[in-house]
Amino acid sequence: MEKILLKNTDTGNSADINEYVKAGGYRGLSKALGLQPGDIVDEVKKSGLRGRGGAGFPTGMKWSFAIADPKSPKYLVCNADEGEPGTFKDRPILEKNPHLLIEGMVISAYALGSERGYIYLRGEYPRAKEILDRAIDEAREKNFLGDNITGKGIKFDLTVYQGAGAYICGEETTLLESLEGKRGLPRNRPPFPVNTGAWGKPTIVNNVETLSNVPSIIERGGEAYSKIGSKFCPGPKLFSVSGRVEKPGVYELPMGTSLRDIIYAHAGGIKGGKKLKAVFPGGVSTPLLTADSIDCAMDFVSMPKAGSMLGSGAVIVMDESVCMVRVAYRTLKFFEHESCGKCVPCREGTEWLRKILERVEGGRGRNGDIELLSDVAENISGKTFCPLGDAAAGVVAGMLKNFRNEFEEHIKNA
Amino acid sequence: MFNDTVLKEIDDIRARYPERRSALLPSLYIAQKEFGHLSSEALLCVAKTLNLPEADVRGAASFYSMYRHKPLGRHLIQLCTNVSCMLLGSEKLADFISEKFRVEPGGTSADGRFSFVIMECIGACGTAPAMLVDTDFYDNLSEEGIVEILEKYK
Amino acid sequence: MITLTINEKEITLDKPVTVLEAARRAGIKVPTLCHHEALKPYGGCRLCVVEVEKMPRLQTACTLTVADGMVVTTESEAISKVRRGILEFLLINHPLDCPYCDKAGECELQDMVDKYGPTVGRFGEEKRKVPESHKDHILARNMERCIVCTRCVRMCGEVQGASAISIIGRGNRSRMEPFSSAAFDCEYCGNCLTVCPVGAILSRLYIHSFRPWQLDKEVETVCPYCGVGCSLVVQVRDDSIKRVVPRFDLGLNRGLLCSRGRFGYEYISSPERLKTPLVRKNGRLEESTWSEALSLVAEKLGQIKSRDGGTAIAGISSPRCCNEDNYVFQKFMRMTCGTNNIDTVSRTGFASAQKYFEDLLGQGITANMIDGLKNSDVILVLGGDPAAINPVLGLSIREAFRRGAKVLVVGNAKGLERYKTLQVMPEVFREADVLESLLIEIYGARGIRGEKPALDSGIRELSERGCERTGERDFDELRMTLLESVSISIVFGPDLVQRADGHRSLFAVSGLTYLLEARLYLLSEKPNEQGVIDAGCAPDMLPGGRPLSVQEFRRKFEQSWNGAIPSDDGMTLFEMIEGAANGKIKGMYIMGENPVFNLPNGSYIKEALKALDFLAVQDIFLTDTAEIADVVLPAKGWTEKTGTVTNLERRVQLQKKAVETMFGMEDWRIISEVSGRMGYEMNYKEAADVMEEMAKVSPLYRDLTYHEIGKGDCLWPYHGEPLRGEMKTVPEGAAMERDYTEDFYLSVERPLFHSGTLSGKSPALMKIYPEPALRIGTGTAEKGGLKDGDKVQFSTRTGSREAFVSIDDAIRDNRVYFSNNFRGRGALDLMTYNIDKVTKAAGIEGCEVKIKKL
Ligand SMILES: Cc1cc2nc3c(=O)[nH]c(=O)nc-3n(C[C@H](O)[C@H](O)[C@H](O)COP(=O)(O)O)c2cc1C
Ligand code: SF4
Ligand code: FES
Repeated sequence: MEKILLKNTDTGNSADINEYVKAGGYRGLSKALGLQPGDIVDEVKKSGLRGRGGAGFPTGMKWSFAIADPKSPKYLVCNADEGEPGTFKDRPILEKNPHLLIEGMVISAYALGSERGYIYLRGEYPRAKEILDRAIDEAREKNFLGDNITGKGIKFDLTVYQGAGAYICGEETTLLESLEGKRGLPRNRPPFPVNTGAWGKPTIVNNVETLSNVPSIIERGGEAYSKIGSKFCPGPKLFSVSGRVEKPGVYELPMGTSLRDIIYAHAGGIKGGKKLKAVFPGGVSTPLLTADSIDCAMDFVSMPKAGSMLGSGAVIVMDESVCMVRVAYRTLKFFEHESCGKCVPCREGTEWLRKILERVEGGRGRNGDIELLSDVAENISGKTFCPLGDAAAGVVAGMLKNFRNEFEEHIKNA
Repeated sequence: MFNDTVLKEIDDIRARYPERRSALLPSLYIAQKEFGHLSSEALLCVAKTLNLPEADVRGAASFYSMYRHKPLGRHLIQLCTNVSCMLLGSEKLADFISEKFRVEPGGTSADGRFSFVIMECIGACGTAPAMLVDTDFYDNLSEEGIVEILEKYK
Repeated sequence: MITLTINEKEITLDKPVTVLEAARRAGIKVPTLCHHEALKPYGGCRLCVVEVEKMPRLQTACTLTVADGMVVTTESEAISKVRRGILEFLLINHPLDCPYCDKAGECELQDMVDKYGPTVGRFGEEKRKVPESHKDHILARNMERCIVCTRCVRMCGEVQGASAISIIGRGNRSRMEPFSSAAFDCEYCGNCLTVCPVGAILSRLYIHSFRPWQLDKEVETVCPYCGVGCSLVVQVRDDSIKRVVPRFDLGLNRGLLCSRGRFGYEYISSPERLKTPLVRKNGRLEESTWSEALSLVAEKLGQIKSRDGGTAIAGISSPRCCNEDNYVFQKFMRMTCGTNNIDTVSRTGFASAQKYFEDLLGQGITANMIDGLKNSDVILVLGGDPAAINPVLGLSIREAFRRGAKVLVVGNAKGLERYKTLQVMPEVFREADVLESLLIEIYGARGIRGEKPALDSGIRELSERGCERTGERDFDELRMTLLESVSISIVFGPDLVQRADGHRSLFAVSGLTYLLEARLYLLSEKPNEQGVIDAGCAPDMLPGGRPLSVQEFRRKFEQSWNGAIPSDDGMTLFEMIEGAANGKIKGMYIMGENPVFNLPNGSYIKEALKALDFLAVQDIFLTDTAEIADVVLPAKGWTEKTGTVTNLERRVQLQKKAVETMFGMEDWRIISEVSGRMGYEMNYKEAADVMEEMAKVSPLYRDLTYHEIGKGDCLWPYHGEPLRGEMKTVPEGAAMERDYTEDFYLSVERPLFHSGTLSGKSPALMKIYPEPALRIGTGTAEKGGLKDGDKVQFSTRTGSREAFVSIDDAIRDNRVYFSNNFRGRGALDLMTYNIDKVTKAAGIEGCEVKIKKL
């Protein structure tokens, strides 16, 4: 497949605006500014683009909700928090192709009637911050940002906002709290950000990858774009593959590529020719798949049918040498650390799960621990304020479902 | 209080948001740089500069794990041990760093050279294991590699 | 119309509310912990989960808004299991120390566990350990018990607007802390204490001293501190007040209290209370019997009356006493002593302003609901910090600001630092110039209203005369904002009255109120400043604001009171003091007031009072004034007697008796005892009898009974009718020419934590604010080379004090503030006064101050 998102990124200075323009960049923008904002939204709807942040919400629909709200100003926020463990797909865009994102944001802003945009960038990407800041300055110099974009009297400006180490801030309402300078606790919904978002105003939050798809949708037309990838959710998709594979990395592939192909055809198969044991197909927040269930199409529609989710497309591969109890413990330590503390089941439950797993893993398991783990996980699941708690419980449930024997063994040998 | 250059910098940041509270996280980064860590004095400075309640400032600062609340060594090692890195042996590397450079996770070496923090995912899973030293990125780590890298930080 | 079903009960609502609220209205209780009626929905504890048909997972009732056709179930086996699970989570780190915890018996968590909870714990790990913090004098924090519902933090931020506490850390390391992690640097409203569902925040005033089920009774009453008149509940055991708690369904404050109301109750059981009458013998005050003391007062006043006439007697009554006390007091002065020399210390602020505004704008002009402040577009704040003088009124201003109102502050107002749109700082003592300029410009833009001739011509004359603009920053924006708004409230504090040209500010504010059609709020430092006036404790007004000079009114009272009322206006407060000094006044009766300390130039006032032939003081403490009296009569205080008070909105409320005390007598009873001994019988058996008479004679209280008042919401005018005419011309004042060129000027601090004698006898308030400090702005600090904590001596022409310096960013001019709440170390005594010709208030002078670092 021709690369769309990572086009030209293997040259040394692909982040430079001249390189980008030379390769045809900002053409989508010129075309877009010749269209009516409503037409752009229609193209995006036609394209079938679904959000790449994890939930897969249809982007065109989200936009039309925001447009329907008469309140102004409207804010466009790019979610570049990329915190889901195993996810590093936005990073190449941010570091190597920042102008694609900026172009996507300018077009989107024009379509949405927004004059102010923010890129919420995770604090752990200091390099990306520098690159983005420079790219924004360049774009402003060249009149792709500012008060009179390409001389058409259109206004839009961008600021990079640096997060400071909190996974939960990737969740969009929490992100907005954080952008407002507060502690990162998720907000009640409704009202949804498209109506009451940043500073109480309609706010569109989209993932880096989502927004980076916009220029090519405009350039080739929604219809043509929708032919790429899988039928129900078209487009290119960035998969970040990590763990025990030969060639970990980010792969731009058509949406719907099978998990098996991703692991074996693209990422070079399992490290050292070992046997595959399990995969988190879309980050640790998505249900674990075992070696025999990887023949599934990686897209938002097919994955739930396969018993998991596409999530952020972060494929974490575990081979036969990996101790699943250890993985469970480490994952729960992550969720415990990242629980914001707002709701009881997540705050207390993740701690409890971690403590039991720590014991079991450390050879201090007790009889009944498996039942306790599963009961505690069930008491969390579906009762938390936001999906973080569910994800934590899901890891434990998935581990117990597929690898119960490893847990039993740990306890027996305690 | 902050000097005029810093105040100007914070003023510029403020201008980019409709409400002054949004300048809090960026200002905390600045204060961290100015004061070395977010001491009470640093937090008070931020609160005063932005006219925000002191407790709110501390509450927000304490939420985010990249703000430091204790004095740091000259260099900060942040090693990821989240699943992808762990699968490629980062936990052993953590032990190695602790032993070799005499610095416990969450602590600072006696000579004040290094502070060491275990991180959640830093988005380098494709080239795991990975770490940040101050703001420099290092990946595909091995024990020998780490020794070589850290030698550069005195 | 929305119709939904909850537990098979059909409920119809006209407006969408949360499922929780809908259930509550239908009498269905859904368990909650993080929810609180005064706070916005939060959704943290997850206990309120309910099943909703067609929704895939359980929903939290506290955050879900009802929709037409919704079918909700609030109790089922599945729901109970979830609740049990949540409670188990809450208990894993909970210390389970109920036998030791003060909250046991009224702990929401305990009750909930009792209903849904697990009976055995399955948590086999180590619990979180956090030592209980007693680093604060008032509030203890036990973060092991904290369930991180954040009610306290939200209360402090969303409602109180102090934002003095926050959740620190995240996830399971979250805990509530003030900035310092030790002592609270806060407003000590204690509202966090009210809303904590568990024993995580405790009051050290009563920690471990009783169990909630040991309380004998609870009495709903009204706070004794300021003119807002918050409702509160005193809880009593063995005739002593164990604690004061607010109620969210009660009174105008709806569950909010300030530090004074909540923690200031201990004064009433102070060991320093006066217990027996004292009589001066051989120059010393000695204990005596009631009959001796009462007879002596009657005899002495009787002698003066027959020798020098009633006009040689004067009386000062008290805005801390009830309406009944004050009514009986003025009747006693008029009928028994034969004089209209009756006034109060409110002459220095509230009473003068009140009369001035009513004379020009009509009676009841300041009778506006505090709650209405919230609905203003613009609030103009003048003459003091409302958030300190009348804290709960201040909260309404903060709320208005949060709702988008513009708050415009003229002068310093610390409590509104984060709640103001703009601030105009007049040069020191030149507020009147700023306000006059403002009025002239508003008049220029709006023109005359043509409804009140006196004001119309006054404003026209002022604008012809012109006024020198003083060039304040933001003045133009202030003017523009006022001109652009429709719903304006003006909040007027006492500071502006206390100038020799205070009437100029009063006129300007009258004019602004008139031209802008604003609502006017008059801040009131004491609980019954309005009531005192309404009761007739004024030299020129009978009860109900009836002018004494109108013969017809006088005659009506004479008929009911059965005797003659002197026809000439009496002396105002400072005229009485002058009279005492120059021998025109021979005898004085002071009820519940301490002029020696509470007025400027106390040493002069003391000398004047000492020159009297006879001075009777009736009080609950041996104040500086009582100390120089010939007879001291111990009164009963708040919660020891029943009576009514009238707040600044003119809401008449009942202060109820809650405890029995053996000593002291009700103020009205002491006076009627004296009166009888002087030959004018007053036959009241109870306070209610006094009220009954007031309701007969005073048009203000017509038909008012305790029963009626007890129902709440008794706002004056009760069966309203205008009771006196408006003034036809604006009273002429004298100009005040003065150069304010000194470096620093002394002003009286009005702190949030103190309010005269009572707060000084309240140990908790003394712990919060133990020492008067010299509060200065950063500019002053720079100019004077002063640092926080420096010890200084500061002197005026009349005296000097030593104190530590405290730097306060909120002070933006060259004023330095010192409180007048610490005996022997007051600020007022360092100042002199000059009488405003129009209002007869004391214009405080001699404020030029020199500061020397020690
Ligand atoms: C716990 C949690 C973490 C999330 N983290 C991220 C993230 O790091 N990056 C991201 O783009 N979306 C993240 N999301 C999804 C966002 O809430 C949101 O759906 C997304 O930003 C919408 O953008 P999209 O429509 O373009 O996907 C997260 C969601 C949850 C519940
Ligand atoms: S202290 Fe009390 S009210 Fe505050 S969060 Fe903790 S439990 Fe809730
Ligand atoms: S009361 Fe609804 S979640 Fe706490």
